[in-house]
Amino acid sequence: MMVLGRAFATVFCLLQAVSGESGNAQNGDLEDAEPDADYSFGCYSQLEVDGNQHSLTCAFDDPDINSTNLELQICDVLLQMGCLTLNKLQRKYFVKTGRFLLIGNSNMCVKLGEKNLTCKNIEISKIVKPEAPFGLEVVYRKEANDFLVTFNTTHSKKKYVKHLMHDMAYRPKKGESNWTHVHLMNTKTTILERTLKPKAVYEIKVRSIPGTRYFKGFWSDWSPSSTFKTPDPWSRVRWDPVLPSISILSFFSVVLLVILTCVLWKKRIKPIVWPSLPDHKKTLEQLCKKPQKNLNVSFNPESFLDCQIHEVNGIQSRDEVESFLQNDHPPQPDLPPEELENQEHGASVHSPNWLSEISVSIPETVRRDSPLRFLSRNLSACNTPTFPSSRSLDYRDDDRNGPHVYQDLLPSPGNTNGTLPQLFPLQSGILIPVCQRQPIPTSSVLNQEEAYVTMSSFYQNK
Amino acid sequence: MRARSCFSPSHHDYTHLPQTMFHVSFRYIFGIPPLILVLLPVTSSDCHIKDKEGKAYESVLMISIDELDKMTGTVSNCPNNEPNFFKKHPCDDAKEAAFLNRAARKLKQFLKMNISEEFNIHLLTVSQGTQTLVNCTNKEEKNLKEQKKNDPCFLKRLLREIKTCWNKILKGSI
Repeated sequence: MMVLGRAFATVFCLLQAVSGESGNAQNGDLEDAEPDADYSFGCYSQLEVDGNQHSLTCAFDDPDINSTNLELQICDVLLQMGCLTLNKLQRKYFVKTGRFLLIGNSNMCVKLGEKNLTCKNIEISKIVKPEAPFGLEVVYRKEANDFLVTFNTTHSKKKYVKHLMHDMAYRPKKGESNWTHVHLMNTKTTILERTLKPKAVYEIKVRSIPGTRYFKGFWSDWSPSSTFKTPDPWSRVRWDPVLPSISILSFFSVVLLVILTCVLWKKRIKPIVWPSLPDHKKTLEQLCKKPQKNLNVSFNPESFLDCQIHEVNGIQSRDEVESFLQNDHPPQPDLPPEELENQEHGASVHSPNWLSEISVSIPETVRRDSPLRFLSRNLSACNTPTFPSSRSLDYRDDDRNGPHVYQDLLPSPGNTNGTLPQLFPLQSGILIPVCQRQPIPTSSVLNQEEAYVTMSSFYQNK
Repeated sequence: MRARSCFSPSHHDYTHLPQTMFHVSFRYIFGIPPLILVLLPVTSSDCHIKDKEGKAYESVLMISIDELDKMTGTVSNCPNNEPNFFKKHPCDDAKEAAFLNRAARKLKQFLKMNISEEFNIHLLTVSQGTQTLVNCTNKEEKNLKEQKKNDPCFLKRLLREIKTCWNKILKGSI
């Protein structure tokens, strides 16, 4: 009997316990009114929102929840206070106090009367939501071709959450294009003009989030949007005309200067800048005119038909000349004309006084006959002078025909006072015949000038 | 009359020996261990630092310490001798947490200065915040000696020692 009674009591107790947990809506017990309701909630804190006071704002995740009698209470995080109940503002729960201990966890519970419906741990320092930035301005910088973006935040003057990370977003106002996000740690940044569409209106906004090692939280609300306009690229065509015109003018001046320098370099500029020292050799050459290069020389008598031949009559100081000639060239035997010609070729004729050299190898027959008579004969031809390289003389005909006329006539003893006709002037290396078919007076006397020239030519040959 | 010899077991009563031994063992078993248990908390430290990286100290406590130092103002004519508190509770090695705990409790005594609400908030922030971070498990029921009223010299010294001890902890943890 006792055992049976115990069994019945045990079963009854079990039933009561089970029925109690299942819930009974008919009782009207509010504790069990919404067993499936989601009392999950979210909170965020704002530090130093009003002086040294911090705020805490919470709200249920389910907007349809009946929060008429629900309360939110926070404990274990207050300075010298146990718990603090949040004030209800429409659908949100809010409290502002300076007695939040910003270290450690706290316990937030949803209370219905005295009963805690749900609780969860929150850390005030980890749910910080900064205040929204303000004063967003965009300025176009023409020199840098960019836009300077600046804004302000209240946290720069706060003690705790001083360092924030900012999110700047911009997009063209027309059209529903995506926002371009830029993260930055400062309240100043730039946007390059070339990254934007030209001649378009842009919309820009910015928000913040805690950026310290300790304080964490959520993004702030967006700042009020600003707009800015990108310039028209063709409007930059207008430029300052002064600088380009000056540069063009200076360029052309430089070009003109270069051309003038090249043109007038030799005649005007170089003699002044680099005066040339007189060259004595060249000066001498200029003084003594050079003979023509293409000078046809021929010893054919027929080519000298127009020449005036002058007969040489007297030679003064014939003995002196003969002795002088004999010292240089010993008297040759009666040589055939060919040998004579060879000798004449062998005679060096390197100076304008080649006639004197030629006269060295006077054939013996001529010398033997009579130099005077030889000289007094009518001259039929005059010898044209030749270059040293072509000093062939046709002595064969002259030897047979008659006397020869020689330039630089040997002085005759009887013609000291006479003057020989001036045959042709002496020039450097070349003698131009000016011959006349006139008999030369037998008593021509070499003047002092001709004697001087003859002597000087001898001196040079020596 | 019978002469007593030394070897005669006349005056020693061994019948009571088991009882004696029982009393002695009783003392050793039930006396000494509790004594050890009582004495051990005195010698050992049950405080340990939770925030070894110093994030909470740098972001919250240091700000309040600086604000308190600023509010206390410039104090002159402070005595050069070291207060007894620091002699008794130095920030020695392996005892930093204990020192901070005691220093935090000492700070609360300055609430009586009642300078301003903001002063009290910062004072409580440092005191309660430090105690939260050092997490001492043993309950020191012994009350600290009451601090003289309005001793800004001691307050300044206390704040400086708390800062120094925290820096020592953070330096050692790097």
